[in-house]
Amino acid sequence: MSKPKPLVEFVDVNKWFGQNHVLKDVSFSVDEREVVVIIGPSGSGKSTLLRCTNRLEEVQKGEIHLDGIPITDEDVNINHLRQRIGMVFQSFNLFPHLTALENVAAGPTKVKGVDETEAYEHAQELLNRVGLGDQGDSHPNELSGGQQQRVAIARALAMEPQVMLFDEVTSALDPELVGEVLDVMGDLANEGMTMLVVTHEMGFAQEVGDRIVLMSEGEVAEVTESDQFFEQPRTERGERFLSRLL
Amino acid sequence: MSDALSEREEPTGASSGLLANDNLVRRIGEVVAGLFLAVVLGVLGWTVFSEVDPDLLQTIFPRFVTAYLLVIRIVIVSSILSVSAGIIVGLARISSSPLTSNVARGYIEFFRGTPLLFQLFLIYFGIPSLWGTGQFPISDWEIPAAVIGLTLNHAAYVGEAMRGGINAVPDGQMEAARSIGMSRVQAMREVILPQAWRNALAAIGNDQIILVKDTSLLTLISVPEIMQVFRSVNSATFDPWTPLVWVCLFYLAVTLPMSKLVGVLEARADWGSDRKSLAKRLGSRMPGGGTS
Ligand SMILES: Nc1ncnc2c1ncn2[C@@H]1O[C@H](COP(=O)(O)OP(=O)(O)OP(=O)(O)O)[C@@H](O)[C@H]1O
Ligand SMILES: [Mg+2]
Repeated sequence: MSKPKPLVEFVDVNKWFGQNHVLKDVSFSVDEREVVVIIGPSGSGKSTLLRCTNRLEEVQKGEIHLDGIPITDEDVNINHLRQRIGMVFQSFNLFPHLTALENVAAGPTKVKGVDETEAYEHAQELLNRVGLGDQGDSHPNELSGGQQQRVAIARALAMEPQVMLFDEVTSALDPELVGEVLDVMGDLANEGMTMLVVTHEMGFAQEVGDRIVLMSEGEVAEVTESDQFFEQPRTERGERFLSRLL
Repeated sequence: MSDALSEREEPTGASSGLLANDNLVRRIGEVVAGLFLAVVLGVLGWTVFSEVDPDLLQTIFPRFVTAYLLVIRIVIVSSILSVSAGIIVGLARISSSPLTSNVARGYIEFFRGTPLLFQLFLIYFGIPSLWGTGQFPISDWEIPAAVIGLTLNHAAYVGEAMRGGINAVPDGQMEAARSIGMSRVQAMREVILPQAWRNALAAIGNDQIILVKDTSLLTLISVPEIMQVFRSVNSATFDPWTPLVWVCLFYLAVTLPMSKLVGVLEARADWGSDRKSLAKRLGSRMPGGGTS
């Protein structure tokens, strides 16, 4: 195997909301085909970091690169770049006026200009892949939370992104529906998708994650291989975070 | 704790007497409604029977039809124009540019804050007088003036309804649309507006029904509409009841189908929430149920 190259790089990223310094010199990178899991207490800046990665929020200082391209540069075509970054939200955010299949095909047809027949065939394949092949005609309000979230993953995958961002995608789900979504994410990781995942599911972080990024009050407290992290974190803050989970 | 509460509530419930019994309340409601219906039908039936002149009813019918057809044409044109303009006003109102949104706001405040009759007078009397006596080039100015007045006025209300409809769409929808690479404009068109339209539909439908009734004001700028016919028949015959029957029926003939249409549009926009879907949802929530 060739040496992996960094696909997403955070370089001294700083972000303020007014006076509130939310991200402080955040630096780490995500290699191609790697799954990096971001954990940390509530309010530590995890969501903000993901949202900065596809410019739903602006960074004030520092840079984020995707495949060498500075995402944070004012001159980049952000609509183009976002097509290469899939994002899945805690609250699904499916388009309620479209069917599941139309949700998945919306990006390719409206944004990429892919031929309708081709886009819908591909969308159907993606629904099959997330186990919802027979739900293409359902509207989001006819689906359970777990099903909606799997459609949302398919919708993001339809743009054939280079990296997928997941922000607590199972937090809004009934406990019995969490597994089906994590399974889909696990499959995706096995297929070699590069993923940046914010989650409170420590089982998932340990099993699927390659590296753990622990955030604390806007800082990266530590970046550690996941097996190592759950056995013995490198920092005291890591130890405290783990002990609070027990 | 909750036991103690419910025990203490019981005597209170009983002491509130007759109204504690849901069935009884329902009965009382029915009796009141029935009495109301009987009185209205009785008085109305008696009045129509004693006051309405069947011959005159027939004689004046064609004049009402002519007026009715004119009103329908004015309504259709003003409706299309005011809804289209209103959507633009609503979009301008939520613009991130302070200039655009404040201009839209001023527009809305003016047209909602002054009476429609004033606006009609402004257009019908005010504009031609800028040309000097007899110089205004448009003959039959009352019809264009009517359409312009109704359009400008109702575009303000439709604009407010659209603004509310757009604001009611959760922020996550815009974010989701942007995250798959849509531009702002694309996201508006493909994702936000279809949902905003559904949210605003009831308010817009209401407004358009009011527009129909607002055409009665056009009699004051010389449009030969339904009230005009009434006034002319009444002053010639001193019989108000006979022409009033047609007035009432003609307005209801427009507004009742309109509220039906709004209902149909609303149902059509109620994406996928039918019984079947409820069953499906429940099924998939059940352990070992429909989830694949
Ligand atoms: N839109 C916003 N405006 C102002 N402050 C914000 C905004 N979004 C987040 N913040 C603040 O930024 C800080 C980090 O929030 P963020 O949502 O990134 O935390 P998080 O780690 O994702 O927490 P959680 O685990 O609760 O989701 C918090 O102090 C929060 O109050
Ligand atoms: Mg968060």
